[in-house]
Amino acid sequence: MGPADLLQLLDQTQPRRVRAIENLLRGRRTVSTLYWGQRYQLLALLSLAKQLDRGALDAAAQQVVQQGLASWDANHERLVLTPRGLAAQQSATYFHPQTADWWPTIDLMTARQRILLAVQVASQFSHHAGHYLPLTTDMATRQFVRNWFHQVKANDLGTQVLAALTTSLAKLDPLVAAVVTGQFTGYQQAGQTLGQLSQTTQRTPWEIQLMQFEGLAQIMQDAKAPTNPFNSLLQPLWQTPVSRSAQITLNTVKQGQTLAQIAGERRVKVSTVREHLLEAAIMLPLAAFPYDRLLAPATRDQFKAVVQGPVDDWQYTELPEALQKQYEFFYFRLYAIWVGKQGEQHGK
Amino acid sequence: MGNEPLTASLERVFGYETFRPGQQAALEALEAGNDSLAILPTGAGKTLIYQLYGYRHAGCTVIVSPLLSLMADQVDRMRLGGFRRSAAITSQTSYTDRQTILDQLADLQFLFLSPEMLAQPKMLTRIKQLTISLFVVDEAHCIVQWGPDFRPEYLLLGAIKEQLGNPLTLMLTATAGQATRQEIAKQLRSQPTIVTESVNRANIFLDVDRVNDEADKKERLQQLVSRLQGPGVIYFSSKQLATDTAEWLQATTGVRAAAYHAGLSGEDRFKIQQQFMSGELDLICATSAFGMGIDKNDIRYVIHYHLPGDLESYAQEIGRAGRDGQPSVAILLYAPGDEQLPLALGQANRPDEAEIAQYYAQPTKFDDSEPTVHLLAFYRQHGISQAAVQRLFVKREQERNRALAGMVAYAREDHCLRQRWLAAFDEQAPAHTEDCCAPQATPLDIGRLDLGRVVNSADKATPMDWQTQLARLF
Ligand SMILES: [Zn+2]
Repeated sequence: MGPADLLQLLDQTQPRRVRAIENLLRGRRTVSTLYWGQRYQLLALLSLAKQLDRGALDAAAQQVVQQGLASWDANHERLVLTPRGLAAQQSATYFHPQTADWWPTIDLMTARQRILLAVQVASQFSHHAGHYLPLTTDMATRQFVRNWFHQVKANDLGTQVLAALTTSLAKLDPLVAAVVTGQFTGYQQAGQTLGQLSQTTQRTPWEIQLMQFEGLAQIMQDAKAPTNPFNSLLQPLWQTPVSRSAQITLNTVKQGQTLAQIAGERRVKVSTVREHLLEAAIMLPLAAFPYDRLLAPATRDQFKAVVQGPVDDWQYTELPEALQKQYEFFYFRLYAIWVGKQGEQHGK
Repeated sequence: MGNEPLTASLERVFGYETFRPGQQAALEALEAGNDSLAILPTGAGKTLIYQLYGYRHAGCTVIVSPLLSLMADQVDRMRLGGFRRSAAITSQTSYTDRQTILDQLADLQFLFLSPEMLAQPKMLTRIKQLTISLFVVDEAHCIVQWGPDFRPEYLLLGAIKEQLGNPLTLMLTATAGQATRQEIAKQLRSQPTIVTESVNRANIFLDVDRVNDEADKKERLQQLVSRLQGPGVIYFSSKQLATDTAEWLQATTGVRAAAYHAGLSGEDRFKIQQQFMSGELDLICATSAFGMGIDKNDIRYVIHYHLPGDLESYAQEIGRAGRDGQPSVAILLYAPGDEQLPLALGQANRPDEAEIAQYYAQPTKFDDSEPTVHLLAFYRQHGISQAAVQRLFVKREQERNRALAGMVAYAREDHCLRQRWLAAFDEQAPAHTEDCCAPQATPLDIGRLDLGRVVNSADKATPMDWQTQLARLF
C-alpha cells in the first residue's frame, strides 16, 4: 500500500492511528482495532489485506509526511491531513467504492475464488472445451464449484452467466467493469493479474483491489435473486459481521442472562464476555444491539453530563472518580460506540 | 496389467506408439525390479516414466519433489492427463485440504510430497501404511545441490526409504555428472541402473557475452531483448531484479514481459504461465529455481543475467530452450567479478567455525527460524557432532568452489563452449563449427542464426471494451 492509498484513509480534523488502520487491514479483530475502525468509518476494510506485514504502512506514512500531506501528532502515532493533503485527497481521481457497506457481511476472499473459477468453468463449457487446467484454488472451492456446475449445467449456461455478469457490471463504473472482466480466466483467455491491471490502468495495486471488491460485492448482491445462475454458489457467502463466539454471547444476553451468568456458563472471563459485546456493538447497526438493557438511559445521561468535546478525545481516566467507581470502562466504551452510531445515523 | 507389454500400455494410456529415448530403458529396469536413475534432458518426458509405471502396478506412487509451489501445478497436470487420483501435500497445503487428502490416502495412485513433509514423523507413519509401488525422487540433483546447506531433510531420504521398506526407487534429473550420480546413489542407499542420454542439444547455439560492468550488462540485455525473436526466458538470482527488469524491458523495448517466481500467488502464476503459453507474453523474467515450472516447447532464447553456481544448473536452465528442435540460443551475460554473487549466496547460509561452536555450546539460545540455525539444529538433532558438521561445511564449500570454477571457466572459454560444457558431463562434443557457439571474444550474429525479432502488429492488440471482452468468454 502506497502513500496515494494511505492519503485516502486520512482525515483533516480527525487524527488517525496508522497502526489501527494497519491492524484493521490485516484482520486483527481486537476491540480496540474495531473501535477505531468504526470511529474512522473504515470498518469496510476489515481483513481485506491479510497478507500485509506488521509495519507495512510505515513507509507510506513517512512519505505522506515528507510530501507535506499529513503531519504526526505529538506521540508520532496519529496522522492528520494538512490543508495541502486535503487538497491532494480531493483532487485525486482516486476510486471510491459504492458497495463498501456490504463488504463486512460478505466472505469476499472465498467469493472471489468461487466467482473466478465458476466463470472459467462456464466459459470453457460454453466453448465445449473439456480439457483445460483449472485455476489454482483450494480444494474446498474446487469441490463447491464442481457441485454448482453439475447443478446448473444447461446448454445455455454460458448465455445465462454472460447476462448476469453484464447486468451486474453495467451498474458500476466502467473502469471497475473492465478490471473485473480483465482478470477473468476462461476459454482462450488467460486473464490479467492484478499487477498487470494496475500497470495498464495506471491505478495503484490497492485501487485495483478495491475495484475488484466492488465488482464482487455487486455480483454477490445480484446473485440473491433465485433466478441468477450464481445464486446457489454465492448465497452461502453472506455472513454476519460478528465473530461466531461474539454472536453466541450476544444471543444469550438477548435471552436475559447477566454477564456473570454467561461467563460462568461458557467458562470464560467476564472481560471476554464484555469484549464479545463490544465487538457486536461496533459491528452491528444500532437496532441490532440491546443498548437499553446494557446501557440504561439513566446511565447515558450520567455520562452525557460529564463528557465534552469530540468523542475521540474522551478519556475514561478523566471521568469524575465517583463515576469511574460506579461504571467500569466497558460501559464508558459502549456509550462512546452508541454516541458514534447515533452520529452516523444522523449524518446519513 | 503387469503382463501387458510396455508399448501396449503406452498406446493405451497415452496413445503413442513409441517411447522417447530413455523412457523405455528406465521402465524396463523398474519392471525388472531394479532402482533406476534416469538422467534425461528437460522435455524428454520423465513424468511419463512414473505415470506409466504407476498405471501398470497396484499401490501408490510416492513422488518427492523439491518445489512447493510447483507441486500443485504438477497435480493439476496429472489430473488433466487422466490421472485423477493424484494429490500433493506441502507446507503450503491448508489444514483442511491436508485432512481431505489424508482421509483419501488409501485411494491415491500418485502422491507428491516435499522432503520436509515426508520427514515429519506423523506423515511418515501414515505413508508407511501405504502400499508403495514406486518411490520417485524428482529433480534428484537437489539432494546434492541443496541438501547439505539449504534443505537438510533431503539427506534423510535414504533413511526414510529404508523405513518405508526399501520400495522400488526411481531417481530423475535432467543433468548429473559422475560425481553427482554417485552422490545421489549413495544418499539414497541404492545401486540404480543408470539410464542416460546425451545432454547436448545441437539446436541450441551457445553464446557468452562479455560485458564490462552492471550498466553495460543492462544495456546489452536491452539490446538483445529488442533484437531477438521470442518467446524468451531471462534468469535472475533475485526476485526483485526479475520483477524490476520485466517492467523496465516492457516499458523500454515494447516486448511483453512478466516476472515469474516463487513469490507470486498461485493465481498469478497460473495466469502468467497461461499468457506465456498462449503467446500473450514474449518474455518471462524468472528466478533460477522457479524456471523448472516453465513448460513451453518453442522458447527461442534463454539469457542468464547472473552467473549460475555450476554447469549442471546452467544446463538445466538452458535446456528450456528449443524443445521443439528449432534453432535457439543460450546467452550468458558475464562481467568480470560476477562469480562473487554465487560465492556470497553460497556463504550466506553457511555458518562459520565460530558460529557452529557457539551453537553447539548453547543450542537453546538460538532462534530456530533463522535458516542457519535451523540447519545446525537439524544436524545436532540427528546426532551429528560439532566436528563432523564443521568438516561437512568445509567439504561443501570446496565442492561449491570447484563447481563454480567450472562455470567461470565456461564463461571465460576462448575456443568452444560446447566442448567445455559437455566435458563437465564426461561427454565428447562434436567438432566446433560456426553454428556451434560464440565464446566471449566472438560477437553473437543474430541474423545468421535466423533468430531476429519480427515485430508482429497483431501483438499490439487494441484494447477491447469490457462488454466485448466478457462476451468473448462465453
Ligand atoms: Zn563450439
